[in-house]
Amino acid sequence: MANSSKSFWRWFHQLGSPKWFYQKSAKWLPWLWAITAILFVFGLYFSLYASPVDYQQGNSVRIMYIHVPAAVLSMVGYLAMAVCAVIGLVWKMKMSFMAMRAIAPIGAVFTFICLFTGSMWGIPTWGTWWEWDARMTSELVLLFLYLGFIALHSSFSDRNKADRSAAILAIVGAINVPIIYGSVKWWNTLHQAYSVTKKGAIDPQMQTPLFIMIGAFYLLFVILVIVRLRLEVINRETKSKWLQEELA
Amino acid sequence: MSSKNSNLEVKGLTISRNEQVLLESIDLSFTSGTITHLFGENGAGKTSLMRALAGLLNQDAGQVFWRGFKTSHPEANFSNDLLFLAHNLAMKHELSIAENLQFYAALRGKAVSLSEIKTVASELRIESLLERHFAELSAGQQHKVSLSRLVLENAKLWILDEPFVNLDSQTRDWLSHKMMDFAAKSGVVIFTSHQAIDGLKIHQKISLTHDEDEVMA
Amino acid sequence: MFVTLLKRELMLARRNWVAILIPLFFFIMVVSLFPFAVSPEAEFLQQIAPGVIWVAALLATLLSLDLFYRGDYQDGSLEQLLIMASPTQVAFSKVLAHWLVTGLPLVLVSPLLAGLMHLNYAPDRELLDPNHTPVMMLSLLLGTPTLCLLGAVGMSLSLGASRNGMLVAVMILPLYVPILIFGSAVITASLANSGYNAQLAILGAILLFALVLTPFAIGRALKVAVS
Repeated sequence: MANSSKSFWRWFHQLGSPKWFYQKSAKWLPWLWAITAILFVFGLYFSLYASPVDYQQGNSVRIMYIHVPAAVLSMVGYLAMAVCAVIGLVWKMKMSFMAMRAIAPIGAVFTFICLFTGSMWGIPTWGTWWEWDARMTSELVLLFLYLGFIALHSSFSDRNKADRSAAILAIVGAINVPIIYGSVKWWNTLHQAYSVTKKGAIDPQMQTPLFIMIGAFYLLFVILVIVRLRLEVINRETKSKWLQEELA
Repeated sequence: MSSKNSNLEVKGLTISRNEQVLLESIDLSFTSGTITHLFGENGAGKTSLMRALAGLLNQDAGQVFWRGFKTSHPEANFSNDLLFLAHNLAMKHELSIAENLQFYAALRGKAVSLSEIKTVASELRIESLLERHFAELSAGQQHKVSLSRLVLENAKLWILDEPFVNLDSQTRDWLSHKMMDFAAKSGVVIFTSHQAIDGLKIHQKISLTHDEDEVMA
Repeated sequence: MFVTLLKRELMLARRNWVAILIPLFFFIMVVSLFPFAVSPEAEFLQQIAPGVIWVAALLATLLSLDLFYRGDYQDGSLEQLLIMASPTQVAFSKVLAHWLVTGLPLVLVSPLLAGLMHLNYAPDRELLDPNHTPVMMLSLLLGTPTLCLLGAVGMSLSLGASRNGMLVAVMILPLYVPILIFGSAVITASLANSGYNAQLAILGAILLFALVLTPFAIGRALKVAVS
C-alpha cells in the first residue's frame, strides 16, 4: 500500500517535469493512436452498420454515436481543466497549467461537435435545428464557459499571470457547471419544452457501440491533449538545453 | 513583540518575470537598525525583488522570513510592520490629503489626528493643502504626501522604490534624516536609488546585475 | 479593519456619486426601451416584464463593476490594500460596497420599472389589485448580491489583462444563467398566482453558496492581478 502510494507520488512528480513528459509521450503516442484507430473502426462499424435502427427515429439515431461521446468529453474536459487548475495553484506545478491550457480549445471543439451533431439530430426529430432543450442549452452555456476561459487566458502578456487567473476561472466555472445544469433542467421542465433526448433504457444493441465510441473519443481526447501539450512544452521551454538537443 | 529582533531574512529566493529568471536562489539578510541601498541597472530586478519581499510578486522558489517567521505567517505580523512605497503613489484623487493619510494609518489600527498630520505636513511645507483633494496637487506635492506616510504609520520595515527621485534638496535631506532616525530606532530600511545620497548613512549595499543574475553584498 | 475598508469604499463612492448613478439610469433606460421595441400593450409588457427587468439588472450590475476595481488597480491602491489587509477582507468590502451603492438602489427603484412594464396589470378589475411588486423586489434583493459577487470574480480576474472591455461580460454572463432563471421565475410564478417560495429559496441558497466561496476566489484573483 505504502509502496504503491509512493510510486504514485513519484509518477505524479515526474509528470510535473516537462522533459520527462516530452520524452515519454513520444513513446506513448503511436500506441495510443493505434488503439484509438482500432476502437474507431469497431465503433463506427457497429454504430453505422451493425446496430439496429430506432423504431421512431430511423437512421438518424446514429448521430447519437458521435453526439453522446462528444457531450461526455465536453464535460470531462472542463472538469479535467479544473483539476489541473487546482493542482497548478496548490502545488505550483507548471505542467499542470500547461495541460489546462492544452485542454481548453479541445474541450471547446468537442462541445461544439456535441452542439452541431445535436442540431443535425434535431432537424429530423424536432423539425428544427435548435430547440431550448435542457441538455443542449447546458452544452451551449458550457461552450460559453470554454470561450470565456480561452479569452481570459489569451489577454495577458505575462504567461504566469494568465495561467493563475485562468485557473481561478476554471475552478469557479467547474463549481458552477452543476448549478447551471440543474437550473437549466428545472427551467426546461417549467416551460414543458420538447424532451426528445430524454431517453429511457437504451437498447443493449445500441449500448455496446456507444460504449466503444465513448472509449474511442476518450482516447482521441487524450491524444489531442498530449499533442497540444507537447507543443506547449516546446513553446515554453525553447531556451532549455534538453529541448534544443531533442529537436536538433 | 517589538523587543524581538526584527530582521528580514531571504533564503534561496528565485524570481522571474515574463518567463525570464531575474534572480536565482539568492540569500539576503537585512538586520534591524540598518539601511540597505539596492542598486543596479534598469531591468535588473530591483523592483521585482522589492515586490517579492513585500509579498506581492509570486516567487518561484525560496522564502522570506520576518522576525523569524515566514512573512505569510500571522506571528510575523508582517502586514502590519511593512510599509511599501512604490512608483505609483496609491493615493485616491477623490480624497483629501488628510483622508488619504488617515485611511492608511487606520488600516494599521492607528488613529491619526489632524495635528499629527499637520506637523508632518509643515515639515514638508504642504500644510496649507491638507483639505485639498489629492488630484489638485502638483506631482512634487503628491510625492511628499506619500512620503509623510513614513512618519504617520508605525511600521518596522520600510521598502521604498526610488523614494529620492525628483525630490528637492530640502525634502531629500528630510527623507534621509527620517530614514536614519528610523534605523536608529531599530527599523529596517531597504531602498533603491540611481544616485548616491549625500549625508545618508548606508549600512549595506546590494548590487543587482542583469547578466549573470549575480548578487554581491 | 473591515469597517475601515468598507468606509473607504463608501466614501469613494460618495465622491463619485454621478458615476454611481449612471448604472441606475442605464437600468431604467434599458427597461423603458422595450415598449418602443415590442409593444406598449399592458398585457404584453406584463408578460415579458420579469425577464426584461432581470436582464437589465444583470447588465447594470456588470457595468458598474469597473468603478470599484479599476481605479484602485491603476493607482496602486489595490497593492497597498492587499499588503495591509487580507485579500478576502478586501474582496468582501468591495463587493459589499458595490452592492450597497448599486444593487440596493436598483432594488429600490425597481417599483418604478414595475409600473413602466405594467407588472401589476389585471384585466379583470373586479378582482383585488394583484401586487407583484414586493415579490419582484424580494427576488432582486436576493439575486443582486450574487450578481455582485460573481461579477467581482470576473472583474478581478480581468484587471491585469491587456484587453478587458468585453472580457468580464464574456466570462461572467454564463455564470449568471442560474440567477437569471430563478430570479425571473420568481416573478413569473407570482404573475401566474402560483407559489414562488421554492424559487426564492433557491435564489437564497445560491447567494449563501456564493457568499461562502467567491470571496476567496476574488481575493486570490486580486492577488494575481497585482503580482
